[in-house]
Amino acid sequence: MSEPDLRDLVRAALANDDEAARQLVQHLYPLVAKIVRSHRPRRTSEEDLCQMIFIKVFRNLSSFSGQVPLEHWVSRIAVNSCLNQIASEKVRPEIRYADLSEDEAAIIDHLASSSEDLNPDQRFAARELVEHLLDTLKPADRLVIDLLYLQGRSVNEVRELTGWSAPLVKVRAFRARQKMKQHFEKLSRKENR
Amino acid sequence: MNDADSRLQRLLKTAAQAPADEPVSAPFGFDTRVVAVWRAGHGNGGLNGVVRLIRRVVVLAAFLILVSGAAAFHEYQATRDIVEPGNNEFAIADSAIQSEFDQ
Repeated sequence: MSEPDLRDLVRAALANDDEAARQLVQHLYPLVAKIVRSHRPRRTSEEDLCQMIFIKVFRNLSSFSGQVPLEHWVSRIAVNSCLNQIASEKVRPEIRYADLSEDEAAIIDHLASSSEDLNPDQRFAARELVEHLLDTLKPADRLVIDLLYLQGRSVNEVRELTGWSAPLVKVRAFRARQKMKQHFEKLSRKENR
Repeated sequence: MNDADSRLQRLLKTAAQAPADEPVSAPFGFDTRVVAVWRAGHGNGGLNGVVRLIRRVVVLAAFLILVSGAAAFHEYQATRDIVEPGNNEFAIADSAIQSEFDQ
């Protein structure tokens, strides 16, 4: 759906056209759900968080100026909602070697003993392990690592999505990576097993 | 790049290759539910309703204050209109008595 079509739907939704509002939800759902899956806090269900975000989008729809594409505007609301939700769940669990699955532990061992890249078959376990490590970080740190290193977005894209300045994105990324490294090293130490 | 950096880099690189399961469409009835909640104005939970109630009470109270103020002012004006002619009559009587004594 093109941007002018989306703006027409926005106008119609604001003029009490429920069908247009439903079409907006259907069009934007994959985008919002993808963001929610990447940044969802552990104790909130995906559907609840998506609904919360859509309600926020519609409540603020009249203030959508049209200066940026609708999808960027919605993405920013989604990202900020996820950050707020994660921040409200203050608990950041400590990760221990004993809590890891067999595959995740094998990855730690492989990385410690070899300088070769991991096997592509290990990507799901690697992803799980990274998510455990991300859980130990603050919401903003978690977000910046996910966007830059897992989703492969550029600093500019992260800047647009979060509203942070480019230097702030870089500083946060550096600090987040340092913290992640500390947790990872702690996990890798043999005496902690 | 030291050893821990390199290990973390390799871990992140492999993790990024894990395909994310793309959500295809909204669950059944999700769009209708969102629109209904939005239209009902309950997007913020119960808080939104309380705020709207308080706002209505304040507007109604302000309206009542204005109406009662206007009524009080009107009453005051009417009382003054009644009192003032009487004052004049007393003044005329006083003046007549005074002029009677003077004669």
